[in-house]
Amino acid sequence: MLGYTIKRLLQMVLVLFVVSIIVFLMMSFTGDPVFMVIPIDSTQAEIEQARRLLGLDQSLFSQYWIFLSNLLQGDFGRSYVFRQPAMDLILERLPATMEMVLVAMAFATLIAIPLGVYAGANPNRTASRGIMAASLFGISLPGFWVGMMLIYFFSVRHPFLPSSGRGETIEILGLRLSIFTADGWSHILLPAVTLALATLAIILRITRAGMMEVMRQDYIRFARAKGASRTHILFAHGLKNALIPVVTIFGLQLGDLIAFATITETIFAWPGTGKLLIDSIYRGDRPVIVVYLMLTAFIFVVINFLVDIVYTVIDPRITVK
Amino acid sequence: MMNLRLIATKGILFAGALLLASTALSNQLYAKSLTVGLTSDAVNLDPQAGEELSSNILFYHIYDPLVRRNADLTFGPGLAESWKLTDDTTWLFSLRKGVKFHNGEELKASDVVFTLDRLKKSLMANLGANIASFKAIDDHTVEIKTPRPYAVLPNDLAAVLILNAKYVKEAGDEQADLKPIGTGPYKLVEWVKEDHITLEANKDYYAGPAKLDTVVFRPITNGATRTAALLTGEVDVIQDLNVRDVERVKSDDRYKVLMRPSLLNVVLSIDQRDKSPTIDLDKNPMTDRRVREAMVRAIDVSAINKVIMNGLSTPSEQYVPASHTGYLDGASFRDMYPFDPGKAAALMAEAGYADGFTVTLDATNNRYVNDQQIVQALASMLGKIKINLKLNLMPKSNFFSYIRVPSDKSSLIMSGWDVPSGDGGSMYSVMFYSRGKKEGYGQVNRGSYSNAQVDALIDKADATSKLVERDEFLQQATKILMTDIPMIPLHYEQDLYAAKTNVEITPRADKFLWAYEIDVKE
Repeated sequence: MLGYTIKRLLQMVLVLFVVSIIVFLMMSFTGDPVFMVIPIDSTQAEIEQARRLLGLDQSLFSQYWIFLSNLLQGDFGRSYVFRQPAMDLILERLPATMEMVLVAMAFATLIAIPLGVYAGANPNRTASRGIMAASLFGISLPGFWVGMMLIYFFSVRHPFLPSSGRGETIEILGLRLSIFTADGWSHILLPAVTLALATLAIILRITRAGMMEVMRQDYIRFARAKGASRTHILFAHGLKNALIPVVTIFGLQLGDLIAFATITETIFAWPGTGKLLIDSIYRGDRPVIVVYLMLTAFIFVVINFLVDIVYTVIDPRITVK
Repeated sequence: MMNLRLIATKGILFAGALLLASTALSNQLYAKSLTVGLTSDAVNLDPQAGEELSSNILFYHIYDPLVRRNADLTFGPGLAESWKLTDDTTWLFSLRKGVKFHNGEELKASDVVFTLDRLKKSLMANLGANIASFKAIDDHTVEIKTPRPYAVLPNDLAAVLILNAKYVKEAGDEQADLKPIGTGPYKLVEWVKEDHITLEANKDYYAGPAKLDTVVFRPITNGATRTAALLTGEVDVIQDLNVRDVERVKSDDRYKVLMRPSLLNVVLSIDQRDKSPTIDLDKNPMTDRRVREAMVRAIDVSAINKVIMNGLSTPSEQYVPASHTGYLDGASFRDMYPFDPGKAAALMAEAGYADGFTVTLDATNNRYVNDQQIVQALASMLGKIKINLKLNLMPKSNFFSYIRVPSDKSSLIMSGWDVPSGDGGSMYSVMFYSRGKKEGYGQVNRGSYSNAQVDALIDKADATSKLVERDEFLQQATKILMTDIPMIPLHYEQDLYAAKTNVEITPRADKFLWAYEIDVKE
């Protein structure tokens, strides 16, 4: 287990290193960030001054070298545009995104798994067919459309819920959180539902496929013959064995939503990290993009690691080496 | 006994809390507030760290300039009560007395000197390009020298916001950006990035406290969401109303739509070099004036207005709008060269290009309203006179470094230019002055246009300290430019706002929404 963890950590360092190189190279193709910051009719001298202020007067290689050596001292660099530490900019917005994603994932899982189990165990019932048909909508409807429709019906036509923003927040351990206020919940519902739909549909379909596979196995028949209750068969024998692919997808979706909830955040004016990423790309703000993508890679590595651990809990035959 | 006392204490506390709550409530009833939906969050609140619209809007709430630019682009006193010229290049600005910064410090000449000094070393050094030196004469007089006679220094100073020297030095650049201190009509209460910025009226404002006590700015990037937020009552005013929502908002008499032409002129720069990068001919056809005239005549600006812009654009008459110096009364591209494909084809034939030529047009696809559709329309319009337009579209982050002077990859460029200072000269000197002749001149002359007469007129305009004379020289330059056609002006975009009917707001020419000029009726 310890050996496995160390191996994973080394892999992570390698991944982060490669990500940083790729982003640095990529950003050298997206135009000169100086012109995103200064007025377009600046003279050559003013441009040189701005370059010096931003540290862009060095070669790409030495810029990368400075970045790396600062990184090792815990300094992730400063945004060209905000003139603030890039990591602070991201961390300041991360709680909002995490909140929305966690609520969305909770929605998705709590609804998808029971429905998936039901549809998988009773594939021929009309209700199951209905669930499967509905899940197709969840996969194929684009998030921006769903978001706009939700705003239209629940904010404009029938004003139950606010259309945008995060609402009232309270500070807990220095984090600004909204899920502990009623106003916060009224703001989080629509974006979380929008974000949850696609994941809900995917988890539902995978759970169903797994259940259909498992329910044909001999041990299910044996459990039935033994006289175990239906619920026990479905959840203890069935679901547990169908869960491995579900957990894998869950992990991937979680990482994906944390890093790239950009569209939902933009539609609901949610003050999260996804919007920061897209704005930074438009502004050519390389320090923020590098740190953001490295953080994303880090989140994915951690989630995958946790998923591997969960595998061993679900299925004792699996061990981590 | 103990318990009883506790209950009694609790009761008193509760009554007290109730009283507090009710006074707070009644205060709220009397206090006027306004919530504004902006297209994006401010990036900086340090006016020397950057310049984009949302930040600019906030700057003018928190800080004041020496010279105030009014909503209609006239200029009047700001922190400087008055100013005078002592010789051709020396200006004396008398500061208002008794103006207080939000931290209680009094405005002194040393603050102005500090501001200008810091500006010169900042990313925004460009704002002080026409300031050679400056010093404090006494506590309330600042002397500013320009490198040459420069009649529009006050216009330039309207964009320089005065910082508190003591505060910025003590707080450092980062804190000065996050917790700004100025003399402006509003103080910053809270800035939650990407969520809201709350301002509260500065009771000690030198021109009297603002009518609205609290102003909240909320960044709502998505246009449809911005409309929804207005319709649900979450915000009172929105900036950049979506074109497709105009009818919807108008149809509801609880709301009103406001519009005015912006200052942003969308123009085509034409390469004038003998050999042009994207034209596969030995001689650049566009050096022939007849070809340029043919291009103007081939472009149907009113069709672009109707079909692409839904009527929400104003065809440009000249390079600068009527409010600016350099605008020539009565002259218009639309009258001089009306849309006439027949005449255009004839001009092409006369110039010896009856069979046309192929050229690439560089343009953005995310910077100007409908930029992509506009250039597609241009391609089909110029195609009629056999100018085969190849489109090279890119996002703005690539565009501005791609087209940068010396523009050695570009023959035709579509871009926008706005002159919020109200001085056409600032545009002419950077866009039409011959390249490379003088530092600070011609650095955005993307087509390498060069006319000694125009250069001489700009020199003359920049050699007088009298505004009337400057205007005259620039108008003469405009006359030559309109014959030479170094650029084709297309249209000004329309600024659109929507507000609740009880909000009294008039859109500003420079787009810098200012709550100090806004009121809310009961």
